Amino acid sequence: MATEEDNTVREPLDLIRLSLDEKVYVKLKGERELRGKLHAYDQHLNMILGDVEETVTMVEIDEETFEEIIKTNKRMVPYLFVRGDGVILVSPPLRS
Amino acid sequence: MADSGQQQAPSSAKTPADFLKSIKGKPVIVKLNSGVDYRGVLACLDGYMNIAMEQTEEYVNGQLKNKYGDCFIRGNNVLYISTVRS
Repeated sequence: MATEEDNTVREPLDLIRLSLDEKVYVKLKGERELRGKLHAYDQHLNMILGDVEETVTMVEIDEETFEEIIKTNKRMVPYLFVRGDGVILVSPPLRS
Repeated sequence: MADSGQQQAPSSAKTPADFLKSIKGKPVIVKLNSGVDYRGVLACLDGYMNIAMEQTEEYVNGQLKNKYGDCFIRGNNVLYISTVRS
């Protein structure tokens, strides 16, 4: 009989379930990235993350040289509720 | 319609759902609406087209930007899933 702690991945959301209480990487719309501990999630990919580092990437074009200048802003957030529709990708920590 | 009971090759799948079933465990390219490509081994997918992939490489404008051991892609971002010869 399958239990809650079943370690197999039968559907994609199992991958998220196996990452509960682990650090995850989340790629969001609008060039935003989050790294934090996954406390909870649901089928929409709404998520509660803790001790989150948010990285916002911006590309500016130098008006004279037309070079791309990539700027990243980082900030720490103790607790974050993420609405699922902004999520593009979730990656669990590397398991050996 | 006689069902031979044999393993169907991807090319002979009858519906999109049959195709998706037939490519589990195979190397694929997933393209998102943003134009970003993910190349890796398809672990599984569901009815929302949420995708779990392994050994995933992220390509932006043809350049390798990131690698993920495992990754989950939310289905609403998916433009297409393509098999690759390897």
